[in-house]
Amino acid sequence: MSSNTTRRTWTVTALASLVGLGMGAAHAEPKTNMLHQWAQGSEAAAIAKLGEMYEERGGTWEQTAISGHTSNTLAKLRSDVVSGNAPAAVQLKGPEIAEWNATGRTANLDDVATEQGWDDVVASELISVMKPTGNWVAAPMNIHRVNWLYSSRKILDELGLEVPKTWADFNAACDAVMAAGKICLAHGAADWSDTTTFDSVVYGMDIDLYRKAFQEADLEALRSEQMAEAFAQLRKLVGYMDDGINGRSWEQSMAMTMDAEAAFFMMGDWTVASANAAGYEEGVDYLCSQTPVDWGGKGFILNADSVVFFEQSDQDYVDGQKLLAETIMSPEFQVTFNVAKGSIPSRTDIDLSEGGFTQCQQQGLTDLKASVEQGTLVRSMAHNMTVPQRFRGAMMEVITEYVADDSISPEEAAMQLADAVEVQQ
Amino acid sequence: MQMSTDSPRTRSLKADLLERLPLLVLAPTVLAMFLYVVVFSLWTLWLSLSTSTILPDPSYGGFGEYVALWKSKRWTVAYQNLFLFGSLYVVGSLVVGTLLAVLIDQRVRFESFWRTVYLYPLAISFIVTGTVWRWIFHPQTGVELALQDMGWLSAQFDWITDRDMALYVVVITGIWHASGFAMALILAGLRSVDGDLVKAAQIDGASLFRTYRRVILPSIWPIFMAVAVVLLQFAVKTYDLVVALTQGGPGVSTTVPAIVVYDLMFQRGQIAQGSAAAVMILVALALVLIPYSLYTSWRRRSEAATHG
Amino acid sequence: MVDAQARIAFDPLSTGGRTRRLTSRTIVYLLLGLFSLYYMAPLVILFMNSMRPLDDIVRGGFIDTPQSLSLRYWKEAWGTFCIAGTCEGVSRFFMNSLLMAIPATVISTALGLVNGYVLSKWRFRGSDLMFGLITLGVFLPAQMTLLPWAYILGSLGLSNTIAGLVLIHTVQGLSFTTLFCRNYFVAIPDDLIKAARIDGAGFWRIFRRIILPLSPPIIIVTVIWQFTGIWNEFLFGTVFTSGANQPITSALVAFSGSGTGVRAYNVEAAAVIMAALPPLAIYVLGGKYFVRGLTEGAVK
Repeated sequence: MSSNTTRRTWTVTALASLVGLGMGAAHAEPKTNMLHQWAQGSEAAAIAKLGEMYEERGGTWEQTAISGHTSNTLAKLRSDVVSGNAPAAVQLKGPEIAEWNATGRTANLDDVATEQGWDDVVASELISVMKPTGNWVAAPMNIHRVNWLYSSRKILDELGLEVPKTWADFNAACDAVMAAGKICLAHGAADWSDTTTFDSVVYGMDIDLYRKAFQEADLEALRSEQMAEAFAQLRKLVGYMDDGINGRSWEQSMAMTMDAEAAFFMMGDWTVASANAAGYEEGVDYLCSQTPVDWGGKGFILNADSVVFFEQSDQDYVDGQKLLAETIMSPEFQVTFNVAKGSIPSRTDIDLSEGGFTQCQQQGLTDLKASVEQGTLVRSMAHNMTVPQRFRGAMMEVITEYVADDSISPEEAAMQLADAVEVQQ
Repeated sequence: MQMSTDSPRTRSLKADLLERLPLLVLAPTVLAMFLYVVVFSLWTLWLSLSTSTILPDPSYGGFGEYVALWKSKRWTVAYQNLFLFGSLYVVGSLVVGTLLAVLIDQRVRFESFWRTVYLYPLAISFIVTGTVWRWIFHPQTGVELALQDMGWLSAQFDWITDRDMALYVVVITGIWHASGFAMALILAGLRSVDGDLVKAAQIDGASLFRTYRRVILPSIWPIFMAVAVVLLQFAVKTYDLVVALTQGGPGVSTTVPAIVVYDLMFQRGQIAQGSAAAVMILVALALVLIPYSLYTSWRRRSEAATHG
Repeated sequence: MVDAQARIAFDPLSTGGRTRRLTSRTIVYLLLGLFSLYYMAPLVILFMNSMRPLDDIVRGGFIDTPQSLSLRYWKEAWGTFCIAGTCEGVSRFFMNSLLMAIPATVISTALGLVNGYVLSKWRFRGSDLMFGLITLGVFLPAQMTLLPWAYILGSLGLSNTIAGLVLIHTVQGLSFTTLFCRNYFVAIPDDLIKAARIDGAGFWRIFRRIILPLSPPIIIVTVIWQFTGIWNEFLFGTVFTSGANQPITSALVAFSGSGTGVRAYNVEAAAVIMAALPPLAIYVLGGKYFVRGLTEGAVK
């Protein structure tokens, strides 16, 4: 913030507080303006609900919703911060929370957190992301599971196949599906969706590889033989897709699977919300299970949306932030929002058998707990929960090029992956 | 003229002011442009040499970001695309625009209809242009599907999903958008050609084609240059069109520099590297504009010499 | 004035025999017709799809004979479609765009006229350099200017206001308007100006009496160009506004953004056409000035 703005704000605040003192106890008018990407669909409706709840609790609600996969919201955030008007609340996630915290402009939520007992109810893997330097900086809205496999009930029944458990099973199933003249894997090519699939491949084949390569960005792991093997499996998967993957959206791929045009679809649990909205039924049109893992056990790749608060000089906004944080973590909001989004609450003390959660969502919570117990829980690289954006972006470039260009060999791809990260270090 | 009651000193001050008036009037714009063009560019240059990541940061970082930038495949592809797309787009729009202008110049009927049809695409934003053309080009929703539904089952038109052909899809869409503008200006130019020149060519027995090629088109050369400038700035700034049409895909094959700048600066929080990319765009511009302005001032000087 | 006589006398298609004339004319019209398909296709498709039911589009693709047509998607797009939780359609954003585009267009055009006049008729030392500087402004990519503008708007206290957007678009438009106007005024004979000066006319009088009366064509061209560019602009409109005062280009993206739920292509098409109507109308109505104005401008 420029010194002029700071000085002006201090003067105004000083005058205001003088007036307030003169008029007796100052009357708090909490307000907020939340910046986020959910401008349409059921998510927008869910955020609208947040606004309603917020106003019910006495706050004045305003929001700026910019569609698109965060690049526009981030552009607005940066320009707002640069112009001295950091937003009161922003949807930010993963390593971005730590990065913005490091600039010193984020607000400290420890008061609210201790008051509401967040440390007790939020999953531990998530806490480390929300508290990058030991104090609460972000309020987690949900937990997404990324490694879901959706199978077309019809095609499986028709061909007498079972939901595949390991990658070998999956390949065999796909060979059968392709032999029967159907598309095996529905997919819409884009950097993030290609990487989502690859996340599951690497994770399913070798958890340690995933941790080293995608959580720590270790160069040796990135150019290892195991990584080349994972790329080889990815190449196989591309072979099971059809020719129209470029320009297809993930919703279209989902529809393909549920309409029995394709056998399988790999995507995060937001698929469930979309499927519900489109009228598909779990168990009838599709089955949900985890993506294949070769090491037996429950796997969970985690993605979480959260809200970060930036320091404000206007007391109304400061009060508004506390109120918003409380509202976001309230069981009421957690249920409404997550049912609409297909994810599960960030609070582990909510009973999912009520409120409208689907079978798949409830399964997600059970799997989460099992995964924590077995020590197999990881965060998603594809969805910006692990490495900084400069590494993630570079990796996604390599992966999406690999999917689009079948002249790149798995070994080359692994080399490129490591080089891309090294260059950005 | 009224007798002035000013003292000589006031009169000369006024005269001074009057002489300076044009400059004074132009001054606000020049100042604003100086800020916008020079200061912004220098600031971007400085940022590219800084250690800025998620926010601008004044500390010096050296040329490392340029090195990192050029090692990225997406950037090299984008930079190549800038030149390839840029030249095809500018030349293509000029050619199509000229063809349309010449056709309309043949004293055809319904001129306002043709002109409106070719010109209206310029009114459509790039995002909408890209979105609608993507519907048309995508094999499973557009032309290929329509052809197959009509009975031609082996019809194929999937350039947009083909790494090697996707860029041409962007070119075709770009030409659709801008060639009407080229047509309009060239048509105006065609209509203002000196009639005597044309009559002379006719008397000499030149064919239609020859007349156009040798006499008419060369005489409106300045108009081509003016159109080329406008087209060039569209080409350099291309962002929304590609994002809506192909999202830079398949893979990174249709990425353009503006996309890389935006992504680096804002999505990835690498402001320094994004600024380096922006500076490289300016360099590409300089590579085109500097020779051009040298050429025009040489031409002007040689014309002055021959006429002087 | 254009040597109209000589120009009309050159009708290339009237040379040669009757058959040759017929063939040539057929070819010309054929070519024109084929090109029109290429140009009209997207608009026709958009229009059709804005009236088809959604499952019709999903099943049959975008280029298909419609099974049924209805105008209700238009009503939905204008007044009831839910964008970011408010279900008022695009009407509010439409107004915001008008509030932004009209002032910016007017101011930048007015300044462009004066600048063009100065640069074409009142050359002084350095004026060519200044013209070059102003022209360079058309080339700067928007992404590069985003952060600097953020600083400036912030220090002026204009962040997240429509006034801030007007400022940005005016400054950025100055390059185009000055370029267009200056190139147009250059064709006005210097003798006219010289004669007026000898008669004692000053800077503003010449502007009012000589330049302005000749300006309508270029004013129209410039207004069309500016209005369209500003109206269709997305990046600055989205980043420098918030919530309720976003322009229509931002609202449109909400129709196609990746969210859960099926993408309503028909309502999107209707919204897109509505958003495109002001520039489209201007081009359809003012298109003839693009050509005529520039022709008449070539004063001999």
